[in-house]
Amino acid sequence: MLIEYYPSESYVHKLDVRTKALGFLVFTIISFVFLSPVINLLIVLCACVILFTIGTPSTGIKKIIKPLLPIFILMLLITGFTYPASNFISEENQRTLFSLWSIPFTLGGFLYGITLVLRILIMVITSTIVTYTTPIEDILQLLKKIKIPHQFAFIIATGIRFIPTMQKKSEMIQEAQKARGAEIGTGGFIKSIGSYITVLIPLIVDSLRMSDNLAIAMLNRGFGAMKTTTDLNEIKMRGRDYLICFGEVILIAFAFWLRSKNIGVL
Amino acid sequence: MFEVLERGSLKVDLLRFKYKNCLTDIFSSLNFKIEKGEFIGLMGRTGAGKTTTMMLLNGLIPHFLEGDFEGNVIANTMNTQRYRVQTMARFIGLVLQDPETQIFGITVEQDVAFGPSNLAFEKEKIRKVVGKSLKAVGLEGYEKRMTSELSGGEKQRLAIAGVLAMEPEILVLDEPTSELDPAGKEEIYKLLSGLKKKGDVTILISGHDTEEMLEYADRIIVLDNGQKIWEGRPTVLFKNVVLTKKIGIRPPEVAEIGNCLKECGLLDQDSVFTNRNEFLQFTKNNLSSFKTSDNGSGKGHSVSNDSIAIETKDLSFNYQQKKSALNELNIKIHKGEFVALIGKNGAGKTTFSKQLNGLLRPTKGTVFINGNDISQLTTAQLSKEVGYVFQNPDHQIFSATVYEEVEFGLKKMNLSEKIRSTRINSALEFVGLEKFTKRHPFTLGKGERQKLAFATVLVMEPKILIIDEPTTGQDWDGTNKMMRMLDKLHMKGHTILMITHNMILAAEYADRVIVFSNSKVLLDGPPEKVFYESEILKSASITAPDCVILAAELRDTGYKNYPVTINKLQNDLLEQLAWKGNVN
Repeated sequence: MLIEYYPSESYVHKLDVRTKALGFLVFTIISFVFLSPVINLLIVLCACVILFTIGTPSTGIKKIIKPLLPIFILMLLITGFTYPASNFISEENQRTLFSLWSIPFTLGGFLYGITLVLRILIMVITSTIVTYTTPIEDILQLLKKIKIPHQFAFIIATGIRFIPTMQKKSEMIQEAQKARGAEIGTGGFIKSIGSYITVLIPLIVDSLRMSDNLAIAMLNRGFGAMKTTTDLNEIKMRGRDYLICFGEVILIAFAFWLRSKNIGVL
Repeated sequence: MFEVLERGSLKVDLLRFKYKNCLTDIFSSLNFKIEKGEFIGLMGRTGAGKTTTMMLLNGLIPHFLEGDFEGNVIANTMNTQRYRVQTMARFIGLVLQDPETQIFGITVEQDVAFGPSNLAFEKEKIRKVVGKSLKAVGLEGYEKRMTSELSGGEKQRLAIAGVLAMEPEILVLDEPTSELDPAGKEEIYKLLSGLKKKGDVTILISGHDTEEMLEYADRIIVLDNGQKIWEGRPTVLFKNVVLTKKIGIRPPEVAEIGNCLKECGLLDQDSVFTNRNEFLQFTKNNLSSFKTSDNGSGKGHSVSNDSIAIETKDLSFNYQQKKSALNELNIKIHKGEFVALIGKNGAGKTTFSKQLNGLLRPTKGTVFINGNDISQLTTAQLSKEVGYVFQNPDHQIFSATVYEEVEFGLKKMNLSEKIRSTRINSALEFVGLEKFTKRHPFTLGKGERQKLAFATVLVMEPKILIIDEPTTGQDWDGTNKMMRMLDKLHMKGHTILMITHNMILAAEYADRVIVFSNSKVLLDGPPEKVFYESEILKSASITAPDCVILAAELRDTGYKNYPVTINKLQNDLLEQLAWKGNVN
C-alpha cells in the first residue's frame, strides 16, 4: 500500500519524524479547508516537487495510484450529478454542463469532485513521502513520545518485520501443494477461492507455531527484564526542524485567514 | 554436602519433570554439571530431551512451559526457580533452532540491539556490544542490512550475535547447524571455539555433527529417553563404535575402520582411530606396500542404455533482476538412475530441480520429461510424473486425518473408490504409517510427518522423484530409515534425484553425482570419479567423505582402488592385512 523506507541522504530524510508528521497534518488540513480545486492543485504540485526531488521511485507511486483511478472517476460522477446547483455561491458553478435522464451534471459538482480527488492524492503523496523517508523505529519512537505503550509499538514493529517472512512461507506452501497436484488460483471464482484453503491452513498452523517460538525467543532476549528500555537512536529536533515546523504553522494560519476572506470557495 | 558453584557453571539436579497435559514424565532424574569455560556437546536421538534440557537451563521450564517440576537447576549460581527468564537471560543466552523466529529487528543492527536495550544498557555500551557481537560472528559491515534479505547461514549467525550482545556467561545453542551446508556448519563451530578460547564463555551445544563434536567439544553428554546415558570425552565415546551406534549416533568414518580392525584382533580398544592421522600412522607401520589386485581404477561412467527420463536443453534461468541462477544446462538423466545433486547453498540445485516439475519456468531453453516438452503442462499435471518432496512437511499438511491427507492429490484423478483406497494404503504402508490412518497429522512426531509428506507424493505414483534434503535435521536412525526407503524405490525402478549436503549419503546411495557451482554443472559422473576430483571439489567448497581422502593418502603405498564407502576401503585393507599375514 505504501512505499517502504529506503535509506538515503535527501533533505527530507534528514528531518525529524515530528516535523514530517506535522507537515503531513498541515497539508491534509489545508486540503480540507478549501473547496476550490485550484488551491488543492497547487498543494499537489508542491507535494509532487518534494516527492520527486527526494528520489522516490515512480514505479512505486504508479502502483499506489493505479488501483485508485476507478474510485476517482466514480467520485467525479457522483459529485457532478448529486450536488444541487443551490449549493454553490458563484453563478458560473451553478451552470449545468449536461443532463442524463434529466439529472443535471453541474460544473460546481464536477469541480468539487476534483477537489475530493485531489484531497486523496495529497494524503497519498504526503504519507508516501513520510514512509519513504522515515525508518520504522523513528515512527515507533513518535508513538512512544505520544505515550502509546511500548508493548503496542513492539507489536507493530514485529508485525512489519514478519511481512516478508510470511510472504515467503506462503510461496513455499503454494509450491509444496502444487507439487502434489493442487491447482491453486485456477478454475472458477469460487473454486479458486476454495483452493487457497490448502495454503491457508498450513500457513495458520505454521504462524501459531512461530508465535509460540517467538514468545520464547522474546524471553531469551530479556524482553520485559527492566522497567525501561534503551533506544539506540533517539529522535532529535534540530534547528532546521524548528524552522520548518514554524513555517508549517504559519502556512496553516495563512490558509485559515484566506478561507475567512472567502477565498477558495465554489 | 554444600557445594560452592562458580559463576559461569551449570548444575542440573532434576528429580522429575512432566509437561502439563502430558501423561508421561519427560525426565525422571537428570543430573549433570558443567564447569566454567567448558565446551560441552549434547547429543542423542531426536526426541531424547535435548531441547527440553536446554529450556530448563534458563528457566523457560518451569516458568513459561509449565508442568510438574521437582528438583533444582542452578545456572551461574542462580536457581532458575527464583528468577524470571528475562533476568536469567542476562547471564545465560539460549539460541534456539529456528533463526527466523529469533529475529526481531528490521535491520541487523536493530536486531542485535534488541537484547541489550531490553536490559537497559547505556546507549554507548549498546553500540559497543553490537559491533563486538557482529564481529564475533563475522557479520561486520552488515549493520544497516535488512534482516529479511539475509541467507539462512547469515540468519543463524545473527541469532547467535543477538544473544552474544547481552554478554552472557553461559551460551546454550540448540542444533544451530541443522539447516546449514557443511561449510556453514564448520564456520559456526569455529566461531564458538573462538569464543571459548577468548574468554570465559561456557558453551553447551546440541547437534548430530559427529566430526565437529569430536574436534571441538571438551565433553559429551548423551541423552536418551530423558535420561543421561553417557558422559565423557568425545574420543572415548567415538572409539567405542558399538556403543555409539547403539545410542543412535553416527560414528566417525575412521572409527568404523578402526573398530573393524579391533574386531579382527589387530587393534585394542584404546587405539581405535578417531582421526585420519592415527589411521595413516597405522597403515604406515603395518602396511609397507599394497598388493591388492587393481579392480578397475576409477571405473568408467557406465553409460546407461535405458531411455531418458529427464533432459534439459540449454536451460537458463534468472530470478527477477538478479544475475543468472542457471546457466545453459544440458543434462540427461536416464530412467532408473539415482542422482545426488550436491553443492553449496545457492549453487543452483533447488532452482534446477524446480524446473523439472514446472514450479519454475526456464527463462531460456527447454525441459523434457520422458521425451515431452513440459512448457505447456502445469505443475499439478506434472505431479503424476514428477514427485517433489519438500524439506518441511508442515508446509503441506492441512487435513484432519492422515488418510485424507494422502487422498488429497488423488481426488482430481477420477479414480474409483477401490483403486483410490488401495493406492493410499500401499503408500502409507510403504512409509510405515499404516497404523496411523485415523490420526490427526499434527499429533505425529516430526519424523512421522516427514514420512506422511513423502506418502502424499508417492500416492500419485510418479516415476521420477525429487527429494530436497531428505535428512536435514534428522538423527542417524531417521537418516538411515529415509535412505532405505529411497533405496527401495530405486530398486523398484524409480528415477531419483536427491538434493543433499551429506556427502557420505551421496557416495553410498547414488550412482551418479552432479556438482553444482555458480549456476553451472561443475562435475557430473559416478561417485567413484567425482569424489576423487579433490581440486575441483575444493573450488566448490565441498569436502569428500573421509574414506576418499584416506584412499588418496594411501596412494604412496601402492593402493589403487577408488572406494567411496568406508566398507569398501575397510575390505580392501583387511584383504591386504590378511594376505600379508599369510605370507609371514
